[in-house]
Amino acid sequence: MPVLDVLTSGQLLFAALVTGSVYALVALGLNLVYGTMRMLNVAHGDLVMLGAYAAYWAFSIAGISPLVAAPVVACLGALLGYALYKGLFRHLLAVAPADAGRMESNSLLLFFGLSIILQNAAAMLFTPNNRAYQYLDEVWRVGNVAMTGNRIAALLVAGATCIGVALFLGRSTAGLAMRSVIERREAAYIVGVDVDRVQWSSFALGFGSAALAGVLMSMLEQFSPFSGFPFTIAGFIVIILGGLGNVMAGLVAALLLGVIETYGVALTSANLRSVLLYGCFVGALLLFPNGLLARRSTRS
Amino acid sequence: MKSVTSHRRSIMSGIAALTLMASAPAIFAQADKPIRIGYSMARTGILASATTSQSNAYELWREQVNARGGMDVGGQKRKVEFVTYDDQSKPEQAVRIYEKLITDDKVDLLLAPWGTPFQIAIAPVLEKFKFPMVGNTAASVALRQVKPGYIWFPTSAIPDRIGAELTALLKASNVKSAVLLSNVLPFTKEIKNFLEPELKKAGIEVKLSTEYPPDIKDMTSILTQVKQLNPDAVLALAYPGDSVLYAKQAKELGITSPLQFIAVGPSDAFFAKAVGAASAENVITIAHWSPRPEWKGSQAFYDDYVKKFGEAPDYLNSALAWMSLEILETAVAKSGVDKAKIREVISKDTFDTINGKVRFDGVQNAITPTAFVQTQKGKLQIIWPKSIASGQYEPKKGW
Amino acid sequence: MALGMVAMAVLPFVANDYLVGTGLTLLMWLALTQSWCVLSKMTGYVSLGHVVFYGLGAYLMVVSWQQLPFMLVVFGAGVIAAAFAALVGLPVLRVRGPYFVILTFGLAELVKFIIMAAESASGTASRILFGTPDLVVIYFCMFALALLATSLLTWVSRSRFGHGLRSLRENEEAAETLGVPVVRFKLIAFVLSAAIPGMVGAVMALRSTYFVVGGVFDPMISITVIAMAILGGGDSAKGPVLGVVFLFVLQELLWANAPLLYMIILGAILITFVLLLPNGLVGLADTRARWRAQRAAAGAKP
Repeated sequence: MPVLDVLTSGQLLFAALVTGSVYALVALGLNLVYGTMRMLNVAHGDLVMLGAYAAYWAFSIAGISPLVAAPVVACLGALLGYALYKGLFRHLLAVAPADAGRMESNSLLLFFGLSIILQNAAAMLFTPNNRAYQYLDEVWRVGNVAMTGNRIAALLVAGATCIGVALFLGRSTAGLAMRSVIERREAAYIVGVDVDRVQWSSFALGFGSAALAGVLMSMLEQFSPFSGFPFTIAGFIVIILGGLGNVMAGLVAALLLGVIETYGVALTSANLRSVLLYGCFVGALLLFPNGLLARRSTRS
Repeated sequence: MKSVTSHRRSIMSGIAALTLMASAPAIFAQADKPIRIGYSMARTGILASATTSQSNAYELWREQVNARGGMDVGGQKRKVEFVTYDDQSKPEQAVRIYEKLITDDKVDLLLAPWGTPFQIAIAPVLEKFKFPMVGNTAASVALRQVKPGYIWFPTSAIPDRIGAELTALLKASNVKSAVLLSNVLPFTKEIKNFLEPELKKAGIEVKLSTEYPPDIKDMTSILTQVKQLNPDAVLALAYPGDSVLYAKQAKELGITSPLQFIAVGPSDAFFAKAVGAASAENVITIAHWSPRPEWKGSQAFYDDYVKKFGEAPDYLNSALAWMSLEILETAVAKSGVDKAKIREVISKDTFDTINGKVRFDGVQNAITPTAFVQTQKGKLQIIWPKSIASGQYEPKKGW
Repeated sequence: MALGMVAMAVLPFVANDYLVGTGLTLLMWLALTQSWCVLSKMTGYVSLGHVVFYGLGAYLMVVSWQQLPFMLVVFGAGVIAAAFAALVGLPVLRVRGPYFVILTFGLAELVKFIIMAAESASGTASRILFGTPDLVVIYFCMFALALLATSLLTWVSRSRFGHGLRSLRENEEAAETLGVPVVRFKLIAFVLSAAIPGMVGAVMALRSTYFVVGGVFDPMISITVIAMAILGGGDSAKGPVLGVVFLFVLQELLWANAPLLYMIILGAILITFVLLLPNGLVGLADTRARWRAQRAAAGAKP
């Protein structure tokens, strides 16, 4: 496609925004959990998968619209996060080994174990078959941009949630507390921040946003118990690219990936889609070892 | 008065008679020993959602066979018992499993796993142990290099023939221009390799030919181009994941090309569930079976499958799985579990299956033609070739 | 461990094909895990992209099949993998902590997709190897590689080089100030850890014969290696042996009968290990040994 056409294409812009906003929502929760607790939640994508199933069952069995089910599913996800924190992850922090490297690989393994359990339990309970449904799949045309209803909805919900969380972190006291823990944990303790509360609320937010992303995703794509992993990967690519713990940078990185997926392909060739994505990722990280928009120091 | 000895003798003969009577059922029980059939299937991992179309057919068959009293093994009826393992979507695991089934579990018969790479990977194992097995799909011309004799593929969906036949279908439907979108995975890529030159030879203009990696998430940039080019036919050589993506985004962008072909996906009932009946309508895909009165058992298979699983069977995978079972059943009825005899029968005989007659020439099916089906009013109809068609090509009117 | 070695050496002569295949897979995981530890356990740079070397080796074997003697290709695969590590090592090792983890993952995926694009550009759909060597030959190749990997890790673990690596694992800046040539050591460890998986990949390509790019660059391989290493614990050659054997035995016991349940149990075991046995099986063995020694000392007192 001629370059100017590509750059001014409203259709491509829409596609980039939809892709980017879903990535952003997925990355949001991941960033919060990592930022406050330095844990790599490898099971994040599987939470997305569970959210998708919840929306699917709500729609297929009870006819409940996924948009109505979304806040409920998100709350359920948050509750799951809270429960797992109190039941499991607090203990991990208690037995934290001396070096951060071991902590990293330990948390990797822990969440990986969780991921396996979630995937295979889902396969046992729901069968491994693919699931999908149609909702809001009429196409709206504005000018020469065509937009499927559910994609508009996904963009709006994901966008609103990300902006909401960004505002929360930036404007509210609780958000400030969370940011302080992300930036420097020990210092936050010292100034009296209830670190435990910040941690479980970031877990809850993290799991909740993953579940919400799942609800949105269920409108757009088919899924099965094993389709969570690509979301985990996408989430990690985004948060590493942006800089760990930096929620705003994560949002920017997510949009960037959406842009590469659409514009990058339009300017080169579909064949290079994954090479471009991973190439940009690796290249960016080699040039900016702490992420594109890294803060001075986020390591505690 | 009888002597003590003769008294004892009668007691002894009495005991002997009783023992004989007691052991008689045991002798008959030998004949009732179940026949053990082994196979591997991906139950975890990325392919787990795809294999059910095949394992369902296997399960349905076992149920029906056992309800009839068992499988006919050289004249004797024996109940069927499956010995099955999860290959975790990895062909190397499948290799190990079949080695285990043959040398460790010592099964009597084997069934095929799901998927081309798996069947090609285990072919050397079958040859090494001289254990015949009927395969099902084998979507690569490379299968002709597999040494014949221990594995056979009843499918006619082979890339080079697909290329030729699809071109013929396009020509017969007055298509002058086409766009080719292909997933780089082996089956679809191979189809593209054969299809493109055929199209050029037939004088059909290929306005765009592009490939994409299997993890693609958005086709907007590709499809915007396609829409601008406005070809008569869009040939989406896609796998189940991207076939749904293609259909959804074609709908969004409003691709109006009348001939829509999607390589893999629409033969499974799930496709219509995922994209909606309207979008699935009039999409053409690869399959060579449908329930037809002239194909004995085809309607019964369809109805039984729907009854047991609540959805239609996959017109390609489930049908092929069932055909392979029919072939095995017929062969074993004639030869018992003698592997050399089974091998002979399968290589030489002509079989009656739910897809009509099947006969093997080397590893391939020499009778069933390469065919295409189209969803018409929600049901898949064979539209090509004329020899087995149950319906005629209809252009697609929007998504 | 010597007993184990002898047992594995005689296996092909006494067991059926299935058991030999099983042994082969065990040795493969051992070779991969030991080589992974050379970098990641010793330096603390956890690599999630170990499979990239495996895939490169496999690809080389498939591409050069029947044009070169396969033993030469196996050796060449090791060289190419090591060269690749040497090439990207310097910039890659500048990245630390979790960034390094995801970077290595991204690198493996990048190489995978580049090869996929190259294959499709050349018109190749798939590759099948016909006429591969016998299982026993493959087995002994893998046996040699596992032996090599174990020796490598043992040597690194005990050498001054290994001490240097450990010091930079504890605190890289401090080690540098103390004169440890940190950058060079990291790079050497990286390159050393790359050669063996390259050769393993080449050998395994002979085993599975049907080559699909996605299969030989499967991220699950990298993840499984990490799991086995962490379950084993420690940073000597003992850990991976325990970890590999443990996971392997577990798999063989459960996988056959209840695949989904097996995976769930596996997940639960991983979680339990992290919470209760953060030092892995090696830690468990050490604790028991210490406990026994304490009891013996206590018992010796009259």
